[in-house]
Amino acid sequence: MTPVEFPSMALAAVACWSAGSALQIPARRSAIFNAFSWTLLISGTLLLVWFLASYWIALERPPLRTLGETRLWYATFIPVIGFIVEYRYKIRWLKYYCMGLSAVFLGINAMHPDVFQKALMPALQSVWFVPHVVVYLVAYALLAASAVSGLHNVMLNFRNRRSEKGESMSHYLALLGFVLLTFGLIFGALWAKEAWGHYWTWDPKETWAFISWLAYLGYLHLVARKTDPRKLQWYLGLAFFVLLVCWFGVNYLPSAQNSVHSYSG
Amino acid sequence: MSVKEITGTSGSEPAPGFRESAVFTLTAVLLGLVIELFSSGKGIDFPGWPFNLIFLIFFITLIFAVGLLFRSRPFVAWLGGIPLGLSLIVGLALLSLVGGVVPQEPMPPESLAAVFRLNGMFSSWPFALVTLLFLFNLGLSLVWRTIPFRLANLQFMLFHGGFWIALACGLAGATQLQRLAVPIYEGRESNKAYDRKNEQLIALPFSIYLKDFQIEQYVHQFSLYDPQRDRLVETKSKLLPEVRKGVKAEWPGVGSVSVLDYLPHALPGADGVPVAVEGDDGVPFARVRIESGGKVGERWISSGGPKVKPRFVQLGDYFIVMLEGQPKAFRSEVTLIADDGERKTATLEVNKPVDFKGWKLYQASYDEKAGRWSTLSLVEAVRDPWLPAVYVGFFMIMAGNALFFWKGIKKMEEA
Ligand code: HEM
Repeated sequence: MTPVEFPSMALAAVACWSAGSALQIPARRSAIFNAFSWTLLISGTLLLVWFLASYWIALERPPLRTLGETRLWYATFIPVIGFIVEYRYKIRWLKYYCMGLSAVFLGINAMHPDVFQKALMPALQSVWFVPHVVVYLVAYALLAASAVSGLHNVMLNFRNRRSEKGESMSHYLALLGFVLLTFGLIFGALWAKEAWGHYWTWDPKETWAFISWLAYLGYLHLVARKTDPRKLQWYLGLAFFVLLVCWFGVNYLPSAQNSVHSYSG
Repeated sequence: MSVKEITGTSGSEPAPGFRESAVFTLTAVLLGLVIELFSSGKGIDFPGWPFNLIFLIFFITLIFAVGLLFRSRPFVAWLGGIPLGLSLIVGLALLSLVGGVVPQEPMPPESLAAVFRLNGMFSSWPFALVTLLFLFNLGLSLVWRTIPFRLANLQFMLFHGGFWIALACGLAGATQLQRLAVPIYEGRESNKAYDRKNEQLIALPFSIYLKDFQIEQYVHQFSLYDPQRDRLVETKSKLLPEVRKGVKAEWPGVGSVSVLDYLPHALPGADGVPVAVEGDDGVPFARVRIESGGKVGERWISSGGPKVKPRFVQLGDYFIVMLEGQPKAFRSEVTLIADDGERKTATLEVNKPVDFKGWKLYQASYDEKAGRWSTLSLVEAVRDPWLPAVYVGFFMIMAGNALFFWKGIKKMEEA
């Protein structure tokens, strides 16, 4: 599987999700439509999993090196979070945002295909590579879901239709996201010690990872202070922009010229 | 916490203590900037061994004393409370933001960034003051959660205590951190190390003998180079074609190239036609068929080497070039010889540092211009006596994190 097959693959996944979403309307009243709809939704994700796996094999290295490759993982993970939330909490709307976000990332990748490059620089050849990046990606996916859900709650509040269940969902997504963010940060530090000789050098990517971690640390302490959860929905929605800077905005900052992490561009 | 939290959930007015905390944090930042202004942006010089340890012990004692003796004073409760902690987190985040946007590198001394040391944020006075207050605040809350000890506070202690230890020991130990560059040539031995930060030459307590330096590369690739825009043109399949017999690459609207023959180690013969050779001298050559606008031709291309010129082929406005494969691995076979006579043979490789005599040795780099013909290996020698303390902090944070995760999942199930 190479980048050439990607656009048709992405299109197929988005088609599955769209058809599955459309069938959610009759699914409310019919078990058969419901089963059919979910088969389509899950097939869309399985297609991406399959693409990721075969891409991994074709590349002969984990497809986690470039921004485009991380977007691919992200596009795979985030609808899964929407599906799990619906399964656990019977909150139905989150999955549509998740699939929408995922489709945007797939679209970006289809428009700016990566070069198919097998080489993996020596610093990346480490047992830490996969855990560090995957933990971060799952964290980003959870925090994206919490941001989306936060903004949705803001909208509900404007219309005076506050949902405490919705608020507690964005809280728990953020909490799990923070836990993984913390693991990602420490794995990164332990790896940096092995690869570059020091665990922390205030490299721009590290600095931004620290800032985004502080942003969510601030959130947890606002919660501990019993801040009005309705205000915190705004916070969660906006905190995600800090993460976005960390994820790919860093590459465009003046400080990033001498970053050891610039390979991720 | 010793103060009753009185923030309601309706809270349209700021919670008590927040305004004072914000003003306090801002004052610390401004004070730091003023110090930088008057010391022309020289930054903070944390004391070296043993004063860093003495300072740390004094600081910890102070926190315990204040925390235990004056716990009931409202001022002290505020000093160790979440509102101040939050303001300091915001302060730290904003200073880091400046440090994450302004390039952290030398600048003209009269520039605004240099005067306030925005280009050296993480060793600047504002950053140091906010961090110190942050540690004080966090330390107080820790003392109160630890004494008296309650198992229910375990996760808090691990999380906050781990962070305190990692941050405090990382900062206090920074003055003792040594990162030295040791260049060595094949077949030679050296104990001379360069401290690039302080521009000093230091003799290590051991010397390194470089038996052999090796580089492994990925397969060579060929590519279409656009000289006008100075970039490589992508192929139809988005692949960077590997140079292997039988590979064909197409560039839409330009033409295509197929590899007819590939010699990984060859040298040009008398008539210019490359012949395969044994040993390390040879360079890769490929015979390629080029099709462009109905015309077909056959040529040899090569990435060249130290004694062989590269060969490329013009194709309209472009050039077909052969690129060196990217380095896959590089390693130094070394013998370490300590001043006391102890010897150790080792292989230094990226991501696989070797410990010797309290130092960690890293494969850092090589002569990149010479590429795989480099006979120079750049080793980095690192000594960081405070590392174990920092790692204790890391593992405490991870343990607290795991508890937090477990608790979070359990509460989520209930929700
Ligand atoms: C500025 C200094 C800090 C102070 C004064 C402080 C204080 C507190 C307090 C009083 C709580 C409430 C605990 C509860 O409600 O049970 C709390 C919660 C928390 N803190 Fe901190 N903290 C600080 C910094 C940090 C740091 C650096 C970390 C991360 C390593 C951290 C991680 C957490 C977490 C994850 C919670 C949530 C615990 C829970 O909800 O059970 N805090 N903090």
